[in-house]
Amino acid sequence: MAILPKQNDLGFFEIRLESIGGLGANLAGKMLAEAGVVGSGFNGVSFSSYGSEKKGSPVKAHIRFCDLETNIRDTTPVERPHIVGVFHENLSKTVNVISGIYADSVVLVNSSKTTEQLKEKIKLSAGTLAVVDATGIALEENNRVNMAMLGGLFRLCDFLDFEHMKGIIRKSLEKKYPQAVDPALRTFQRGYDEVQFQTFALPEGIAMPQPTRWDIPALGYQTQPLGGMIVNPGNSVLKDLSISRQGMMPHFDEEKCIHCAACDTACPDFCFVWDEQPDKKGRPQMFLQGIDYQYCKGCLKCVVACPTEALVSERETDGYGDDHRVAHRFNWAAAN
Amino acid sequence: MAIEINKEVSTGTVEQRMVYESGNEMAAYAAHQINYHVMGYFPISPSTEVAQFLDLMKANGQHDIKLIPSDGEHGSAGICYGASAAGGRVFNATSSNGYLYMLEQMPVQSGTRFPMVMNLVCRSVSGPLDIHGDHSDLYFALNTGWPILMCRDPQAVYDMNIIALKLAEDPEVRLPVLVASDGYFTSHQKRRVQTFAHRADVHAFVGEHSPEGFKHVLDRNNPITVGPYMNEPDYINNCYQQSMAMYKASEVFDRIRQEYAALTGRDYPILDQYRMDDAEVAVFLMNSASEIIKDVVDQLRARGIKAGSVAPNIIRPFPAKEIAEALRGVKAVTVGDRADSYGGHGGNMTNEIKAALFTHGAKDTLVISRIYGLGGKDFYAEDGHHLFELAIEAANAGKVDVPFDYWGHTPGDPEKAPKRVLEPLRYEDLKTGLITVDRDEATGKLKVKVPPVRQLTKKPKRLAPGHGACPGCGIFSGLELFFKGIEGDIVALYQTGCAMVVTTGFPYSSHKATYIHNLFQNGAATLSGVVEMFWERKRRGELDQYGLKDDFTFVMITGDGGMDIGMGPAIGSALRNHKMIILEYDNEGYMNTGAQLSYSTPLGHRTSTSNVGKHQGGKLFHHKDTAQIMAATNIPYVFTGSESLPQDLLRKAAKAQYYAQNVGLVYGKILISCPLNWLSEEKIGQTLIDEAVNTCFFPMYEVEEGVTTITYNPEDKGKRIPLGDWLKNMGKTKHMTRPEYAEALKSFEDEVERRWQRLKAKHENMYL
Repeated sequence: MAILPKQNDLGFFEIRLESIGGLGANLAGKMLAEAGVVGSGFNGVSFSSYGSEKKGSPVKAHIRFCDLETNIRDTTPVERPHIVGVFHENLSKTVNVISGIYADSVVLVNSSKTTEQLKEKIKLSAGTLAVVDATGIALEENNRVNMAMLGGLFRLCDFLDFEHMKGIIRKSLEKKYPQAVDPALRTFQRGYDEVQFQTFALPEGIAMPQPTRWDIPALGYQTQPLGGMIVNPGNSVLKDLSISRQGMMPHFDEEKCIHCAACDTACPDFCFVWDEQPDKKGRPQMFLQGIDYQYCKGCLKCVVACPTEALVSERETDGYGDDHRVAHRFNWAAAN
Repeated sequence: MAIEINKEVSTGTVEQRMVYESGNEMAAYAAHQINYHVMGYFPISPSTEVAQFLDLMKANGQHDIKLIPSDGEHGSAGICYGASAAGGRVFNATSSNGYLYMLEQMPVQSGTRFPMVMNLVCRSVSGPLDIHGDHSDLYFALNTGWPILMCRDPQAVYDMNIIALKLAEDPEVRLPVLVASDGYFTSHQKRRVQTFAHRADVHAFVGEHSPEGFKHVLDRNNPITVGPYMNEPDYINNCYQQSMAMYKASEVFDRIRQEYAALTGRDYPILDQYRMDDAEVAVFLMNSASEIIKDVVDQLRARGIKAGSVAPNIIRPFPAKEIAEALRGVKAVTVGDRADSYGGHGGNMTNEIKAALFTHGAKDTLVISRIYGLGGKDFYAEDGHHLFELAIEAANAGKVDVPFDYWGHTPGDPEKAPKRVLEPLRYEDLKTGLITVDRDEATGKLKVKVPPVRQLTKKPKRLAPGHGACPGCGIFSGLELFFKGIEGDIVALYQTGCAMVVTTGFPYSSHKATYIHNLFQNGAATLSGVVEMFWERKRRGELDQYGLKDDFTFVMITGDGGMDIGMGPAIGSALRNHKMIILEYDNEGYMNTGAQLSYSTPLGHRTSTSNVGKHQGGKLFHHKDTAQIMAATNIPYVFTGSESLPQDLLRKAAKAQYYAQNVGLVYGKILISCPLNWLSEEKIGQTLIDEAVNTCFFPMYEVEEGVTTITYNPEDKGKRIPLGDWLKNMGKTKHMTRPEYAEALKSFEDEVERRWQRLKAKHENMYL
């Protein structure tokens, strides 16, 4: 029987996965938990965060392992993880992905950045950073990010049975998608092999940030409008949805644009920004200015709808969205 | 579904098998082992998975339960009632407002004494809509006359589902039984669970069939009259019989649980008491939280505090005597209610416990009432410590300072109170004058002018970006295209569904104009009330102060699911002919709750309740023709539309507005893509809709003042394609193009062709 490397006061080894809907963290969490419970014989509990938000929105998966004798009573989210798996590095823009970690926790991030760069980006005080380019591996192997992340997570959880997991991957795919078995196994193996580690000690005089309860809302019973009403029409414009993109994005080439508005009709996220300008004959006409990447989820419907090559699909590179964003000119309220 | 871990030797006598599954999976697993005759169900989170798992197992040939997708929870309760009156074993699962929607049927089921088992996967109730777990729905069940069994974890869900059937069918009980577990905390968390290894052993325990000797409606030699008209003085006697049976259920449960314990080694005494022997302070909680509190008890005991916890395994009948006995000698108990009984000075459990203590002479125990964990707010150990601190304080002081309060509510920071972000839309920007609709005096027909979409990009969108829909969601491109054809101000009502949920996640709204949500069985009625209030207040001159420049256009947005459960009110509103538009976005399923079939899902399509396997090939019946149903109400205007034909949809939107402002009700249906659940590429959403139109599955037409006109005929354009060319591009239908599904494909093709030919005949003849 394998032994858990660490246990908290109640006897649990705890893992939290931070992801966006669609990257397969829920499935990876399930497989990881089953590997621990079914494969290695631990007691355990696993679940995902569920809400109204859809694919592309932040999600979490929670896993607890313990010895068979330990009672599992807690149903609350993992607040003090020994391991965090971050499936999308830009999540740290909107979510405190490392909330509640210990000074010796391990944080695995899907990224092509160096550990030093990432430490800065996710504001890690101390702990071990593990990095794997899961997106790159998945694109190369024509498989999914979660398989590469799962490989990386297995590297961190040496109390789990690596060969047993490979068997589960094979078994779960071979009936329905036999052609996917080898790419999935390769992606899993590469995720395992290609993790880079660096441990950062806690500098003297610095304390680890304490976990804070996530469930204290900004509004409350003294400030919330009656009946749950929202008296702030259209305030979802404040949201940044750019993390919903999973690798690809549209690029706009004004030179090739005929301003037909086919993209505007196709876009579910209202990303196209227009302006009225005089046409060649001096009459007022609408001209496409560009894309407000703050809201673009990278579905690429516009690229298919575009009758010219003014919109093309490209792999997203760091900073491109910010640099090329054409912001909507909303009619901001005077108070702001 | 169930993953077999190993065969473990249990302390019971029956062979068992360990699985690692969630509460919902265990409810389904127990049901499939019992092999009920009928389940009538309707999807609602978080209980929906129960039907999904059963459907998946059915597709794999693992049971014979007849799974009936109803048109709403009220309908599902009706199916279950009829099925139980017909003498077989009946099962259901629901949650939240779904339960409240069927509530009216619950006393019918119990009062006429037909046993069945229903899982209530507990969730908060609307409104505002919250999908997470508390006991608000459960508390409505307290007065329905159903015994209620409580499940603290997935193991209990499995065990109680088996115990429940035996209890329901017991000759001395004969009542429907509710099995209550906590939404998400229990329904969606996987745990190790021990199960009967063999179905035969389950049947040996519950009986292979329901007990003989009870009347049902299928015995031609003994005709019976079910549900007579019964006034006083007889009715009170029926109630007394029911009351007697309910109290009897306590004894019977106690006997059954002992038999079950002998078999399995798992015991569910009426009251679960943890370290209560010498307890001086206690906390009473139900279900998942009652497990968390045990860790707190251990921590307090380690500090020398004599703490204990009490939790019931059955709350109907209420274990009053057992609770009074358990709390006798306890100085103070905090009762946590995960639902309020507004104005009752305590949740239902608080007041029943107080009554129990009073009745059974345990009057020295102080009771503190706290409402906690509403809407799924997590219950952490630190919250448990707070509940104990309250009891300790009261025990020390000999009195309760604040007998009733909430715990976990927050005042909010005035600095962060909402401030308006955007100015309201300007009427002048919305009334572009680019779109005109006039009635030709000579022909009586409407003349519509719409510009190219390019010009309409000047018009502000009704919806703001920042909504949380999935990438490539077809809803919002479809809706905005329709709205581009509407001039001036709108008031929108969205029925429950993806479009509602992703645009109004509190405290954010993507609606720039006024918006109302009501639950999707009732949106049309609700909007008709808004419309009539508008006209009446306008008539009385009460709206003059708001400077309206024109009448509103009232638009109801619904998914195809909302047109199933809300069909009655939609037809009622159409028959009353209110001046409003009902626009349905049809994505062929209940996508918001996880892609269950709707009546608009076509034959053979895969959904989470019409799985594809060796024993089932997707949905079993043809898609609903909602446009024709609505046309039969003889409203002034009915249309279909598509994002792939923008000018066509703009013209129809303009006409819709004309009719909704001047004549009466308009119904329109747009087909929209759902890449997530159609298992298709996000970027080809528009292409898929275009293909659906060109197969004639989703023809473009309008029924204007009774006259049908096909507005786009793919045959005339030489663009008609076979259905298979569309179906092959979606994961949910790809199987239909394989030879083994040829018969289903043929049936689907025939139905599409028959409807298309009939439509063409209508197009040719203004009287059809």
